[in-house]
Amino acid sequence: MNKKNKILPWEYSFPSIILIGLIVVFPIIYTIYISFTNMNLYHWTDYEFIALDNYRRALTKLDSGFMSALLTTIIWTVLNMVIQILAAYLIALGLNAKGLKLARLYKTLLMFPWAMPAYISILLWRVGIFNPQYGLLNKIRSALGFSSMDFLSENIPAFISCMVLNLWMALPFLIMMMDGALQSVDISYYESARLDGGGWWAQNLYITIPSIKPILAPSIIMTTFTTFKQFDIIYLLTMQKGSLTGATLQTVITYAHQNAFVSNNYGLSSAVSIVIFGFIILFSLFVNRGIREEHV
Amino acid sequence: MRIKTARRMARLSILNVFFVLLCFITLIPILYAFLLSVSSDSSAFGNGFLFPKSPTLKNYKAILLEEPFLIWLKNSVVLSLGTMILAMGTSVTASYAFSRFRFRGRNEMLKLLLILNAFPQILSMFAIFRLFKNMNLLNNYIGLILIYAGSMCIFSIWNMKGYFDTIPIEIEESARIDGGSSGQIIWKIILPLARPSIIVTAVMVLIFVWNEYLFATTFLMKEENYNLAGGLYQLQANDYSRSWSLFSAAAILVSVPILILFFSIQKYMVSGLTTGGVKG
Amino acid sequence: MKKMALVLCIAMTAAMFTGCSKNTDSVATTKGNKEALNTIRIWHDGDKAMIQLMEDHLNEALNDDGITVKFEQKSGLTDQIKLYGSDEVNGPDLYMYAHDSLGMFVEMGALAPITDVIDKTVYADMLPMTLKAGNYKDTQYLMPVYFETLLFIYNKDLWEGEVPSTTEELYSYMKYHTDATAGTYALVNQHSTAYNVAPLINGFGGFIINEQAKPGLNDEKTMEAIEYNKKFAKLEADGDYNTVNALFKDGKAAAIIGGPWLISGVKEAKINYGIISLCDFKLPNGNALVPYSGVQGIGVMKHAAETKKDALEKVLKEIADPQLGIDLAENSRCAPANQKAYENPTVSKDEMIAAMRKTADIAQPMPNIPQMSVMWGPTESLLAAVNKSGKDLNNVADEYQKQAETAIADMQ
Repeated sequence: MNKKNKILPWEYSFPSIILIGLIVVFPIIYTIYISFTNMNLYHWTDYEFIALDNYRRALTKLDSGFMSALLTTIIWTVLNMVIQILAAYLIALGLNAKGLKLARLYKTLLMFPWAMPAYISILLWRVGIFNPQYGLLNKIRSALGFSSMDFLSENIPAFISCMVLNLWMALPFLIMMMDGALQSVDISYYESARLDGGGWWAQNLYITIPSIKPILAPSIIMTTFTTFKQFDIIYLLTMQKGSLTGATLQTVITYAHQNAFVSNNYGLSSAVSIVIFGFIILFSLFVNRGIREEHV
Repeated sequence: MRIKTARRMARLSILNVFFVLLCFITLIPILYAFLLSVSSDSSAFGNGFLFPKSPTLKNYKAILLEEPFLIWLKNSVVLSLGTMILAMGTSVTASYAFSRFRFRGRNEMLKLLLILNAFPQILSMFAIFRLFKNMNLLNNYIGLILIYAGSMCIFSIWNMKGYFDTIPIEIEESARIDGGSSGQIIWKIILPLARPSIIVTAVMVLIFVWNEYLFATTFLMKEENYNLAGGLYQLQANDYSRSWSLFSAAAILVSVPILILFFSIQKYMVSGLTTGGVKG
Repeated sequence: MKKMALVLCIAMTAAMFTGCSKNTDSVATTKGNKEALNTIRIWHDGDKAMIQLMEDHLNEALNDDGITVKFEQKSGLTDQIKLYGSDEVNGPDLYMYAHDSLGMFVEMGALAPITDVIDKTVYADMLPMTLKAGNYKDTQYLMPVYFETLLFIYNKDLWEGEVPSTTEELYSYMKYHTDATAGTYALVNQHSTAYNVAPLINGFGGFIINEQAKPGLNDEKTMEAIEYNKKFAKLEADGDYNTVNALFKDGKAAAIIGGPWLISGVKEAKINYGIISLCDFKLPNGNALVPYSGVQGIGVMKHAAETKKDALEKVLKEIADPQLGIDLAENSRCAPANQKAYENPTVSKDEMIAAMRKTADIAQPMPNIPQMSVMWGPTESLLAAVNKSGKDLNNVADEYQKQAETAIADMQ
């Protein structure tokens, strides 16, 4: 069946491609188009073609501020992903332990963070957990006799706070994926492994992980991108207008937002978007190389 | 044997303790929201983690009766189901194609999709706005469903493709020999076998729509057409009437349908592979 | 499967085509339809009860003319106007919002001057400050409805003695009565929010941005004010909107600097409160505090000014009616823009409205030039850096000034 079908696979994917073309590709092309014009507040409808002018200006924004934002983003992505994968794997293993009768209930409860709209969760954390006056963390601190602390006013505590929140929000998805993947591992493999006398580590390393890897690779790649692009958490937690906390934590996306988007200069911000998109492509090629050996 | 059972029991109780603790830690912020939501105090935000002196359900009542909560709920259901049908309908076949066929351009296409997905969606809003204005899809559920389905399409394709890859091709081939058409094979064999992955993907799509507010509040013109997240966003964005207890009651109410759904689908999450015993 | 794909494609293409054709149709029908011409849609982001009151008032008054007014709430109104400002089909005819985004909308070409629709005499009774707020490049674009300024709101049961009349005395009172470890405060303020620090900056003679669109973050006077604010900030909790409100409502803070929008919550919390105008406080340099004022005004979309001129004229005249101001003042405690409304005894006796009316004489309308929209970010970053992260003002003022200048340059 491999050889006879050159057209059939395209037919199968045609509806998807149309949809993606409309919602994903068209906006990118449009953004490229706008990036060559001077569309801004003063030329809202009468914008004209100005060639590469916006790109020249966009490149001036790739200064040290951008580079440190890029570095932060990479550290952010790597740390988050490593912790997420490890934690989700262990939790999913636990949920699949034989005889754990309440697994369904646990799973449901652990999904709760996912069931809440992101902005609500972030707001809840900002006031309920991190608030220096009323937040839980500071209530605990003061109960232990420490003075209250503003977790979001310095970069490093703010980074950790954002990361904890991101883990809280993103783990349910990976737990769910891992759990689904673990269900597909053939039990007979374990049985034969047990007969061979393989321990817990060996079972995980030689059976479980290799079996679920191909299933999980795509969702992990997807999550990596989502983490890289994460905007809401850092923005709403530390730099929302009227509630700035003092931390100057920037990722690539928040940097772009702050430096190009508030200005209402659509031409310029489109150019900045495209440049950043270029960076993301580079990043994805990098990620891609890392996983190619086992996959695709 | 008895020692073994005892050890298993011990292991299970440790696991249970671990999960109870984990669930508790996970639920702390939600517990906080819950405590706020049942307090009658207007300055409830300050009391935080203390159980309110006179717990009340008036906030829930207010949300259900005074705000168009039920209408938003209905809209959310319509939008999520519509998106799920469109997104899954298009991406199941596509990911099947990418998983099963080795055709020219396959690898490139997969990578391209991944890269396209990296474009921050928020930047697309303006372009989609222009496009939809010309197509008269503004203020229209079809338009929103197209946006949501399109946004989740790449994710769905990739997410399911990984699982499809693990289904042995022999199963299909034997079915083909028995005279099944491609459509039948997908419907009768692949879908049941890939059930966990399909369910996870569908739930993911559903939750995305359930929690989306930016496009909903921008592309829909009337408040009564909003989905739950959009309606709530509006409620919260209004500084003048910001009431924490009301807001957290609404937040809890939004999450409950998803949790119920999640609890009820779990028994279908078991793979067709292991239960069917085809593999190996 | 093939069939399904095909059906989907056809359905989608069909949807696109019908979509396109429908679009032109609906414009045509709107133009021809008298009822549509007499329906005025107003976008707003205001308080529900207050808007309901306005809607009822307007509809009752305009009933005989067959005009219907519909208020529609939009969160993120600025972004919505950017998208829909010139959209005849989906967009609004009028919008009601704080005046500081005015310049942006005008430059975008979304608004028509209200003088295209009504005569100058219609708004002759409005407070000069509110008119100035709605005036951009010497053209009147907004019909002011009501205005807001920051106020000093204090808890009469907690405040000891008289409220002082200078900021220095206020500071010594705060120092004596604040115990951060116990969580009790004398005065709280959103000390890192530009709007809440503006009274000091303006009072010191500094500016966030001037009329020539030059940012003033490293202006000597501005810096002096920020430095002065810093010593207060140390005694004002974390300055977050939610925190300071909760502190005041819990009776943990004896006073708060906040807008009239806080009052309904304060009342609900059964606080025995008093209100003082900020211009009753004198700075060490002898000047009073000069808060920004925010004027809620109604602007006319360009397309509506052309197609619905007659109906709009009547609506705007009704909005200028002092009775509407009185209704708003009595029911929602808004400070009306119309001076005549203050002749009504209930309005003039209201403590809060009186305080705002008093402030109105010296308050500065927030700048309404488009450049203001990019100033909030750098200003608040500067304030947060100084107040929360403990940065030295002299080191960071230039940095944020530069950031602001770049942001303004980026607009062009």
